[in-house]
Amino acid sequence: MSENSNPTDVLFARAEALRRDLSGQFRDQLVQSLYNEAESIAQRTVKPAGTRRWDWDQQLDRLVTSPIFGLPIMLLLLSIIFWLTVTGANVPSQLLATALFWVEEQAANLFTAWGLPWWLTGFIWHGVFRGLAWVVSVMLPPMAIFFPCFTILEDLGYLPRVAFNLDWLFKKAGAHGKQSLTMSMGWGCNAAGIIATRIIDSPRERLIAILTNNFAPCNGRFPTLILLATVFVASAFPAALTSVVAAGSVVFIVLLGVLFTVVTSAILSRTVLKGEASAFTLELPPYRQPNIGRILYTSLIDRTLFVLWRAIQTAAPAGAVIWLLGNIVVGGQSLAWHIAGWLNPLGVLIGLDGVILLTYIIAIPANEIVVPTMLMMYMGVGMMTDVPGTQELHNLLVGTHGWSMLTAINLMLFSLLHNPCATTIMTMWKETRSWKWTLLGTFMPLSLAFGVCFLTATLARLLGWV
Amino acid sequence: MSFLQPLNFWQTYRQRRQREHAEDALKHIHACEWRGQTASADSLAGALHLSAREVVRLIEQMETQGWLVTTPQGLRLTPDGEQQAVAVIRAHRLWERYLADEARMPLAQIHAEAERREHQSSPEILAKFEAELGHPWTDPHGDPIPTAAGKIENRADQPLTAWQTNAPLRITHIEDEPPAIFAQIVAAGLRPGHVIRILTSTAERMVISNGDDTPALAPIVAANISAELAPNAPTAATQLTSLQMGESAIVAALDPALQGFTRRRLLDLGLTPGTRIQLELPSMFRDPLAYRVRGTLIALRKEQAEWVYIEKE
Repeated sequence: MSENSNPTDVLFARAEALRRDLSGQFRDQLVQSLYNEAESIAQRTVKPAGTRRWDWDQQLDRLVTSPIFGLPIMLLLLSIIFWLTVTGANVPSQLLATALFWVEEQAANLFTAWGLPWWLTGFIWHGVFRGLAWVVSVMLPPMAIFFPCFTILEDLGYLPRVAFNLDWLFKKAGAHGKQSLTMSMGWGCNAAGIIATRIIDSPRERLIAILTNNFAPCNGRFPTLILLATVFVASAFPAALTSVVAAGSVVFIVLLGVLFTVVTSAILSRTVLKGEASAFTLELPPYRQPNIGRILYTSLIDRTLFVLWRAIQTAAPAGAVIWLLGNIVVGGQSLAWHIAGWLNPLGVLIGLDGVILLTYIIAIPANEIVVPTMLMMYMGVGMMTDVPGTQELHNLLVGTHGWSMLTAINLMLFSLLHNPCATTIMTMWKETRSWKWTLLGTFMPLSLAFGVCFLTATLARLLGWV
Repeated sequence: MSFLQPLNFWQTYRQRRQREHAEDALKHIHACEWRGQTASADSLAGALHLSAREVVRLIEQMETQGWLVTTPQGLRLTPDGEQQAVAVIRAHRLWERYLADEARMPLAQIHAEAERREHQSSPEILAKFEAELGHPWTDPHGDPIPTAAGKIENRADQPLTAWQTNAPLRITHIEDEPPAIFAQIVAAGLRPGHVIRILTSTAERMVISNGDDTPALAPIVAANISAELAPNAPTAATQLTSLQMGESAIVAALDPALQGFTRRRLLDLGLTPGTRIQLELPSMFRDPLAYRVRGTLIALRKEQAEWVYIEKE
């Protein structure tokens, strides 16, 4: 090297030579010296206070991670949380709906009294406001129950044990054990589940968790599942068991969703997101008494209200669209029925019908409005409508509109697999900043839903069940 | 203009392919010179999977660029070509380091991925990249990474087959081609930085010891491993995976071949040499396992525990 005369070059050459001697080891030594320092401080100041709690922790750990009891405990806790969510949300949902619909009625009457045209009243109060009211009353109570329950398990220290237990399964799928946590967060709300994937530090595995979160059916999809369970399944059981059967069917669909999550994760990690399961390190914190104040804060402010606000932003326009589709009449029929007619052949092909497909298009902003919009169409009224009694509903769906067991099963599958809601799509984009992944995350579930439903419909028809 | 657009696309594609071929040719000729051999048109055609006609065109093009000259012995790089070749090698090895350490790709996949990416990196980006990776000086196979000035460190390493039995050796390099042999070496648990000893060496097979295990290798496999003398290096200890439930040990070291994100994470969790570690809790499916370190329970998959060496108490 001839340029050694320049002092800067001499300096760089010297640094280059010295760096070789440092190589690698000095980072390790840095960390070690930090730990030594911390250890000596801890030795001088921290005094251990007996070891009784320790043993209790160990016994509990043995139990929840045991090959015999581990899985049943997980399933039991899961079922309890869903049962609490399903039954506990009933009454507050009714109250909220009654209150908000009373406001709607009073305001609409006021508008009429002022002599404003019917379409303005209808658009604002029976359209936009009713959409909002519906989403709030159906969405808020289950989330306000589900998220605190979930946060209690998190605070207790149980959730890291779930990730620890299930890591083996997710490793087989080329994914990360912490995906089990983001998945269970998705049962509350997929948008929240996708935000939660930030706990996964490997980018590839985080993307897998984001793209498959949709297969965790969220609270907003429960009403559809519960409706189908009560009309088609619970009628075979005594009336006292209705809530148990409803929660049971939700748990069944949820477990089916877990299966789809693992299978699609495995497919993704062998195709577009090729790679092996990377490093997995997880700290298992000691069991702690839950802090109620913190739980209420994080689950209500951070999760519930945050998600609700996003849903409201998308539900208001949806309410407007629903009202317009239901009230613009062309050639003696509402626009909604025209579109449903066009969609009908496709719907029938996959074992559903045109009304259901139209409902899912309208319900892209929020899945909560699937049931009321569907009923609005079937009952032929101009605004979203509440569920009538079980027997009436059965007559309406099976008698008048020709539903079969296939329709019910495929609607359950479609509800589980179809594209994520607008809020979730928005969140996917915000977290990945990539249109490519957002589009994949939207259309992969949608095509899977169509494919699976087509398969079951064709199979059922070939076997002569329908 | 717009109807010419597809043509433009085709042209850029062709230019890019040509550049990639030229860069791969530079690497091949450089590798031959490094081994003390001379590349020929035939060896180039074989290495790049090109037809004889394509190779002739490629050589002509590179001669006009002033990167190589044809001599009676074969192809030789000009000083200009040498500089270009070293730049491509630098890009390749930095990419390999990144893919192994930060993207955490399996070792068997990084070579092919780096082959693709080495052609798309400008010197400025590479310099930034190198600083972010903490100025690594070898790639994950143990090959030295050339400096930005184009210097490649020369080492006194030789293939395992050239060393005497019983000398303490440190593995400096594992050849990643052909993949079948590379996979055998990885399966034997040998990685750059490991300290080994040759126990017996015959014409049929070579038995080596890494302090824990004594894998036997065919000479054709052993020839793809290079090593240098390591006079006073400690021999590798037992892997953490050999710990039984409830047993405890002292962390001796993290595998020197483990670099980047995973190494930092293990160190951050407190797995520094001299730390006491106890296997305490299995998970439902017996993998991962949870270890007690500094009073905290830490879950590690088998694949991570294999990087940690311990000394049993």
